[in-house]
Parts: sequence; structure tokens; C-alpha cells
Amino acid sequence: ALLGKDLGALRDIVINANPAKPPLTLLVLHGLLCQRYRVLSTVHVHSSVSGVRPQLLSCLGPKHADSYARHMFQLGFTLIWKDVPKPQMKFSVRNMCPIEGEANVARFLFKLLAPYPSDPALATLVDSWVDTAFYQLADGSAKERAAVLRAVNSALGRGPWLSGPEFSLADVACYCCLLQNGSAASTAANVQRWIKSCENLGHFGPAQLLVK
Amino acid sequence: MTKEEVNGATEDEQQAQSKKALKKQQKEAEKAAKKAEKQAKLAAEQQSADEDDFAKDRYGLSAMVQSQQKLDRVLVRVQDLTPEKVDQLIWLRARVHTSRAKGKQCFLVLRQQQFNVQALVAVGDRASKQMVKFAANITKESIVDVEAMVRKVEQKIESCSQQDVELHIERIFVISQAEPRLPLQLEDAVRPDGEGEEEGRATVNQDTRLDNRVIDLRTTTSQAIFRLQSGVCQLFRDTLTNKGFVEIQTPKIISAASEGGANVFTVSYFKSSAYLAQSPQLYKQMCICADFDKVFCVGPVFRAEDSNTHRHLTEFVGLDIEMAFNYHYHEVIESITDTMVQIFKGLRDNFQTEIQTVNKQFPSEPFKFLEPTLRLEYTEALAMLREAGVEMGDEDDLSTPNEKLLGRLVKEKYDTDFYVLDKYPLAVRPFYTMPDPTNPKYSNSYDMFMRGEEILSGAQRIHDAQLLTERAQHHQIDLEKIKSYIDSFRYGAPPHGGGGIGLERVCMLYLGLHNVRQTSMFPRDPKRLTP
Repeated sequence: ALLGKDLGALRDIVINANPAKPPLTLLVLHGLLCQRYRVLSTVHVHSSVSGVRPQLLSCLGPKHADSYARHMFQLGFTLIWKDVPKPQMKFSVRNMCPIEGEANVARFLFKLLAPYPSDPALATLVDSWVDTAFYQLADGSAKERAAVLRAVNSALGRGPWLSGPEFSLADVACYCCLLQNGSAASTAANVQRWIKSCENLGHFGPAQLLVK
Repeated sequence: MTKEEVNGATEDEQQAQSKKALKKQQKEAEKAAKKAEKQAKLAAEQQSADEDDFAKDRYGLSAMVQSQQKLDRVLVRVQDLTPEKVDQLIWLRARVHTSRAKGKQCFLVLRQQQFNVQALVAVGDRASKQMVKFAANITKESIVDVEAMVRKVEQKIESCSQQDVELHIERIFVISQAEPRLPLQLEDAVRPDGEGEEEGRATVNQDTRLDNRVIDLRTTTSQAIFRLQSGVCQLFRDTLTNKGFVEIQTPKIISAASEGGANVFTVSYFKSSAYLAQSPQLYKQMCICADFDKVFCVGPVFRAEDSNTHRHLTEFVGLDIEMAFNYHYHEVIESITDTMVQIFKGLRDNFQTEIQTVNKQFPSEPFKFLEPTLRLEYTEALAMLREAGVEMGDEDDLSTPNEKLLGRLVKEKYDTDFYVLDKYPLAVRPFYTMPDPTNPKYSNSYDMFMRGEEILSGAQRIHDAQLLTERAQHHQIDLEKIKSYIDSFRYGAPPHGGGGIGLERVCMLYLGLHNVRQTSMFPRDPKRLTP
């Protein structure tokens, strides 16, 4: 339903991202989508950028053996490295405006994997963690980052994941932002334990590969 | 009234008239005398002036160059007139683009191809009054040899391509004089659309341009377009040669039409008739059967379609590719799209000046593309069009408006001006197109689009003589006429595919121009056979 009417052809999600700042969350979510759907993943380079790193060209994994037949897939994931100020998603250009910002694109992709919690308070909590991750953890000052890490630590004292009993987009976003700014090493005990649990899930391989 | 009276009256009149006539004659004589006197005076003045024209060896009409002498003179190119050449005395050959006399000075703009420079003749110890007058009277577009001192200017000359220097002319000789009246003014021909109307200035319409193509080709815009076009050919050749392709030459006079009989030119050929080739299709394929593996060909292609549109010509330059592949025809698509991307990149990196020159007159967005090239399937295109409200059958061909709409939709979603549409319905493609193995409604064929307009049509070809015969019969083609073509595939033929591009169309769409005649040097269409 989220993808709209089925017109009997490949439904292609196009993501424009700047090679100077790869959207790690979206790469992680891509991996999760591949477990759930038959996804045709392709990476392109737009003429507005040049000299894109080879890791970025192969960041969606090896080419699918059936990739010559687009109609055999349920979902297209087309990543275009392009000179854009922030990540952007285009799906149904006639009915939907382009979605700007990594957080918002991540919310859309995550909804294709699992419904948001039906409890409005919990759903809002997830959303608020996603905002915190992108505004304060990724782009904030050292002071702001320290404050967020304290909050993360205390939240993880109350449950195994950031928004309670279930792994959610909140965890994906916070983990990726921590990974990106390299501040994962010097953190408190609950955060360390949570990082281990995240890594045990095995979803973060593509993101870790790019940060190295 | 009596007769006498009448006579008397006429006599009176006659007398009066003769008096008047006499006076008139006298006056005229006086006038003539004055005129003669004036002329004599002027001639005398002229003579005396000629006599004391100290610079008379420094200008004039030079004798026709019939190769009577071989001078050791180095002619500097206008584009090389940079601040490095300041204070050097140089020789140069250029056209007089404009001239403007102002008292004791005359400013000239000298042009060479797309470059121009300001030059100045001023009365002084090098030039006389008469020399300035001579320079001011040189007709536009005349070719002159000039000896001049290169001088730095304080303020940049905005109207010229060489902005940092000007020339102080010491000698000027006309090598070839242009007629005073030009059929069109170069300034009018490079004025951007719309700008002329605002200022009430003239613009030149396309037919006037094409009728006087030699002059129109001198404009900076035309110079840039055709330099870029040469670049497209060069990049096409270089890329394919690097990929191991062989360039072939094929006959243009052929015995049978290759794609249906309606739209070919018939020429009389001794006692029978022949046709002008619509595409080197058959010959490219025969070369594949003859083990050339990968071939390309650059040459004229003829279409006798009576369509007077912005993108049809009756003769154009075809860039054709054909190659054998291993297992899947996408190997061919990848090879062709990669060639196109190399051309786009080459133009972006090496022809920026030309692109900007054309943009000044015909503004357009820079050409955008993806690497690797985007490939969509026909069903996806249908879904996109249906989503936009277009009603179309599954096996219908794309109409031109739908083609353009699809181009816009693809641009909106993927932001690319170049993409491939794959898997066309079999019904809308020529008989030699290979059917899709999984769904016989579709075929292994593809079109490529630039800015929403088709530039290439291609497919995997049938390399099996039996299937080819079946498909030809299905299309009700006379098997006798294509016997030699079908026979080529009887003795072992590798799977192969290819396509052909129109050079003029590629240039037009790359530059975002609106008429293919702008990128054809001497266009041929149903209504134009000259120049």
C-alpha cells in the first residue's frame, strides 16, 4: 500500500546521495530490504560528480545474477551518486514529491520492512531518536554529542533497545551516526553493550565497510 | 476668339518662354562652370594630397594572389594574440568584421574563425589621413593582411575574444574584397532569439541562413557547432577503435530496400534501377558473418520520407555499429551506451568553449547523464506513462508526444538526458529483430533517447536463416528480393546485434538545439536541394 497501485512493472526507488557523505543508514536499510524482497540494486554516477571512490560503486554488493531482467524483481533500489546538498529520494514522481533528508528517506524505507509501533507514544519516541541522531549526533558539537550519549546510555539502562523491547529505526539511525563520526569507542557501559548487540545482528556490514 | 488673337497670344508666350529659357541656360552654364571649377579644384587637391601622402605604400588593394612570390612572412593567429605578444610587430590575415571611423581614427574588428581582436588605424607618423580613409572604406567580410604592433589595453575589450590587447596597424592590404552588400549581417545571425524583438533589431530566419550558408557558417555559433560535431565523430571513432572495432566502408547504391520499400530513393542504374541505402544494416551484418566480429561505419544514409519536421533530413550522416556477442545482447547495449558516455564525457571535458559559445545564442541546460547508462524496460515505461494518465495498449508503439512525455518523466525521476528503453513489442520492429525467448510478444530490441528524442534504434538480429525466413514471411516480404541477405546466415553466423545513430541528431540534442538543420552543414530535406 505504501508503494501505491501495482502497474505490473518494476517499482523503482531512486536515491540521490552525495559521494562526499555516503548515507550509511540507507545502505543498512537496503541490506534489510534485500532480505525481505527481491530487490534489483543498481549504482550509477551522475554527470555532476566525477572521481567517485570504487567502494562507493560497489556499496550495494555484487550484481544480482538476474539483473538483466528487470521484470523479475519486486523492488528497484537505484542509488545515484550526485552533487546534492542532502540525500533525496524519488519514487512515484507524479504522485509524490521528492523526499529530502536521510532521516526521512530512512523512515520511508523502514516502513517497507516493519510497521511502526501502533502505540503513538512509542512511534513518536522512535521518530524523536531518529531526529536526535541526525541533528545532534551526526551534525552537533562535541558538547551536544556528549549530552546525546548520556541520554542514550540512560535509555539503554531501561531496555535492550533505544525504544524499548524491539529493535527499531532508532537503533539503526543512532548506530550509523555514531559510526560516521567515530565516537563509538569512548562511551559508557550500556552504550558499549548495545553496540555489541547491534553488531551481532549483522545488518551493519555495508556501513562498516564504507567507514573503513 | 479670332485666329489672330490666338496667334498673338502664342507669340507673346513664345517670347516670354524664350526669355525664360535663356535665363535658365545662362544659369545652367554658370552652374556647370562652377562645377567644373570645383572639380578641377578637387582634382588638384586630390593630386596634391596624393602627392604628399607619405603612407601610400602602406595600404591598398593587393594584386590577386596567384602564387607569384613565396614570402617568408609569419602570419600570427588571432587566438594567439595574448599579453605575451605585447610590443611585437606582427603580420596577420583576417576578415574585417566591422569598421568604425571617427575623425582621425578608424577602429576595425578583425575576425578569424571564432576569434576576434580590435585594431586601430590612427593618423600619425605611420598612417596618413588617406590611409585611415581607405581603412574605413574596406567592405565588411573582406580579407586583409595587416602589419601591426600589439599593444596592451588598460580596459578589457568586452566585445572581442582577445580582450587584453589591441593592434596598432602600420600596414593594411586587401587580399580579397567582399561585395559591399551582404545578404545577411553576421551580428544579426548570432543574436539570441527574442533579444532582437525587444530592441527592434533584425534577426535572420532559418531559410535566409541556409540560402546563404557560406556566410552563416562564419558565425561564431556555426563555427562552434561544427567543431563540436567533428569532435563527436572523432570520439566515436577513437572509443570504438580502442574497443577493438574495425571501421568498414559500405556501398550506398544498393539493389533492394533494407527496411520496407516505401521510403527509399530510386536512382536509374544503366538499364535498371537501384536504391540509395537507408542504412548499412545488411552490409554490417554480412561483415559479422564474415568474421569481422565488431564493426562500425560512418557515412551518408538516405531516407525518402516526405516529413518536414525539425528532426528529419533526407540525407544524414549515420554512425553505425554492429557486433557479435557471447551470450546476451545486453553486451551490445553496454558497448554502445559506454561509447555514448565516452562521447558525452569527451565533449564535456574538451569542448567547453564551443558549448558555451552555442549557449550564448541558444541557451540550454547542460547535458546530464548517468554512468552506467540507465536501462528501463518497455513495461516500466508503459507503467510510468499510465501513471501519468496516458492510455496505451501493451503492444502499441510509442508516439512522438509519448516519447517526449516519457523523456520528461525519466528526467524528473532519474535526472538523466540519456537512457535506454529495452524490450520493445515484437510487432512494432522490423522482421530481422530477435523475439524475446520468455515472452514472444516482446523482442530483444532497444531504443536510445537523448532529451526525450530517439537517437538510436537497435536490436539483436536473427542469425538463424530459418527463423529469419519465417519472420520475413510473417511480414509479407518477397523472399526472392532478400535471398542473398538470408543466404549470408546459412554458413554459420554468430549471434550479433547493433544500432545506428544520426550524427546531426546527436549534436542537436546534446547542445539542446531545436532544429536538425542547425547541425547539418548543407541540409537536405524534401524542400531543399541547394546549396
